Amino acid sequence: MNRNFDIYLVGVGGQGILTIADIITLAAADKGIDVNFFPTKGMAQRGGFVKAQLRLGREPGSYSPSISPGGGDLIVSMELSETLKAVRYGKQGADYVILGLRWQPTAVMLGKAPYPDASQVLGEIRRAGGAVHYLDPGELPEGMRGNLYTLGAICAHSKLSSFFSKEDLERIISDRWKNIAQSNIETFRAGYSAKTRAE
Amino acid sequence: MKKLVSGNEALAYGALHAGVKVVSGYPGTPSSEVIACLLEMDLPGTFVEWSTNEKVGFEVAAGASMAGHRALSTMKMSGLNVCYDSLIGVAYSGCPGGLVVFVADDPGVSAGMCEQDTRGFAVMSDMPMLEPCSLQEIYDMTIAAFDLSEKIGGPVFLRLVTNNSQSHGMVEIGERVKPAESAPMPPYDPAKYTKAGAAICMQQHKDLIARLEMSERYIEEHGLNKLALGKKGGLGVVSVGIANGYTIEALDRLTAAGVDVSGISTLRLAATIPYSKGQIDSLLENCSKVLVVEELEGFTEKFCYMEAYKNKLDVKFLGKEDGTFSRIGQFDALLVENGIRAALDMPRADVSLAEPPERLCAARPIGFCAGCPHRGTYMGLEKGLNACGYKKTDVFITGDIGCTILGSCPPFDILWTELSMGASIPFAQGVAYSGIPSPVIATIGDSTFFHAGIPGLVNALQHDINMLVVILDNGWTAMTGMQVNPGTSQEFQKESWRRLDIESIVRGIGVRQMWTVDPYDAGAMADATEQALKASGLKVILSRRECAIQAARRKVKYPEITFVPDSCIGCKKCINVTGCPAIELSGKIIAIDGMQCNNCGLCAGVCPTKALRAAG
Repeated sequence: MNRNFDIYLVGVGGQGILTIADIITLAAADKGIDVNFFPTKGMAQRGGFVKAQLRLGREPGSYSPSISPGGGDLIVSMELSETLKAVRYGKQGADYVILGLRWQPTAVMLGKAPYPDASQVLGEIRRAGGAVHYLDPGELPEGMRGNLYTLGAICAHSKLSSFFSKEDLERIISDRWKNIAQSNIETFRAGYSAKTRAE
Repeated sequence: MKKLVSGNEALAYGALHAGVKVVSGYPGTPSSEVIACLLEMDLPGTFVEWSTNEKVGFEVAAGASMAGHRALSTMKMSGLNVCYDSLIGVAYSGCPGGLVVFVADDPGVSAGMCEQDTRGFAVMSDMPMLEPCSLQEIYDMTIAAFDLSEKIGGPVFLRLVTNNSQSHGMVEIGERVKPAESAPMPPYDPAKYTKAGAAICMQQHKDLIARLEMSERYIEEHGLNKLALGKKGGLGVVSVGIANGYTIEALDRLTAAGVDVSGISTLRLAATIPYSKGQIDSLLENCSKVLVVEELEGFTEKFCYMEAYKNKLDVKFLGKEDGTFSRIGQFDALLVENGIRAALDMPRADVSLAEPPERLCAARPIGFCAGCPHRGTYMGLEKGLNACGYKKTDVFITGDIGCTILGSCPPFDILWTELSMGASIPFAQGVAYSGIPSPVIATIGDSTFFHAGIPGLVNALQHDINMLVVILDNGWTAMTGMQVNPGTSQEFQKESWRRLDIESIVRGIGVRQMWTVDPYDAGAMADATEQALKASGLKVILSRRECAIQAARRKVKYPEITFVPDSCIGCKKCINVTGCPAIELSGKIIAIDGMQCNNCGLCAGVCPTKALRAAG
């Protein structure tokens, strides 16, 4: 079995998308799986484009931090429009786990600029040969963190599960924030069992 | 022990293992985490500081090296431009203690600035420059850089790029080695440590060239470059630094695609400078075609051309010169794979999509955070211009580096230029000399002011320039991730460090027309602007309040503003004027996002119906 697994994550500052990558990185380190986590934060503290590239299971020192176009096994997005920036990095058949939150730029809010709708975004993914696992943001339970919810869905709907079990990730999450372990695990599990749709 | 670290942290740990005594530098993405992580550690016997600028930081490190200690200076590529004058002097003199200059380049420009290839400085100064690729290499080569520096008796560059400096992974790390407590008197040797006289300088030049030749031998003897010769007369691939990773991966991709790559010769260089003449010649003699893989400029490639010419070798080169690769942007494994395919006369691997998905993506301009004090400064500035009868587009206003430059973004669109640290003031002075039909204003942040703004202000004052300088002081070097600067409040200065007050400095220089305002009071900023523009000569407005993010981190609370939905007429003036990300539209009226809003009150100042009300 090919043990290389490349994950491309996108979102906007303030959503905690890097935390998803962080948890997977810690889980990999914990299991002795080679990992490289390359976050790109951009200039905005909050609301700006954020991406991260995670490369798992390679020979140490035999690769670079960047995922090539058409190379990602799993694409993760927490912002509907920003998903489009990741599509060129997905392989044919790559899994796309998307929490369809919309962080509208001011011009969009004022009706002066367009914002893509979900069918347009998912259409682009299908054209690129990707497998969509779309999480309706309306189903995200009140008060739950979108990032751990999305991580739960990743665990349920992608081949990341060939590296880490649900329990592996739950243990890392519990150790990371001991005081709020219970509510974080609940969020993760809610995402794990959340309904996803393919279009 | 194995530890999960970033590339910059690996470099910091390498320096600690090498027994570093002094670490000094100035923040700059993507280099900042080296000093940031060291400042978090308790390191008795080692001095770590954010210096006022890169030139100062380098000089501090070079002094420690002259006293025989190991020292590290850190900066982004722009910072190297700032410190180069001293750097070249030390390169000529040499230095007894290991002196490593860490510089981070940003191919692909993820942080914003000139996409410069710093290897050009290594060429120009005859200094070796190690270019690690993986995180473990970063750690190992940091230690090697100190050893190399002491072996040759001169400073050594260590160059990372965004790609590896910002990556995180597992690295085998050794214990910190504590540096010596003290040092004997440095050598008294003016022939080495001054530039007084042509004979001295030319001898130093000779020594410098000899040091670079020594470093070439060191790199070869320590096996830092990896040469693997394949089929005679076949293809060779030369790569350097971060491109080594792309190249290994590209060869793996080709193997996975069923291409036999076993006959390809490879030379993976750990350094562009010194040019590894022997190993490059060996590769050229073995190959009929050579692909050179290096991001940005074609330094290695040009040297290869020269060696082929000198040795009368008929080698066909692929690289920058023939257009196989671009001089712009970051590489990836696919790009290198296609370079190798071109060299092998094979069809390209094509993954491009019929239409780019990004075409549908909503534009997401950057802007000020909710509660940012700079917002109030620019709102007040515009209001003050209006009061003097100007539209903002009528007035020439220079910007400077840092968060303050976001005044060039919507809805402010008020800054015309961004050049280099501190340039806003002299640049504006030149425009003021030019007799344009508008007032001239310079804007600059606090850390930028300390960095290189003060000489420009002194110059403008001495020459009695009729212009306004606005200093936006939020107390932090914010954009690079909240570093302490000389103006940061005393409680965040380390033990014996001392806070310096910008107002006292400006007055101390001799500026007589000065206003200090609170940017949360946009009206006061407007009044100060109006008064300043009506006066002649050099004027300074100091607009001062702590960065909202830092204030929030230490739980500073401002009195709550209230929103009365029934009074909101949906005019959207608050959104259009402030551009604050905490204000949203909710149907026909606005809504405040309580998670983001810090009650700065600037929106209340523009609400025509008092639907938004500041406390009190």
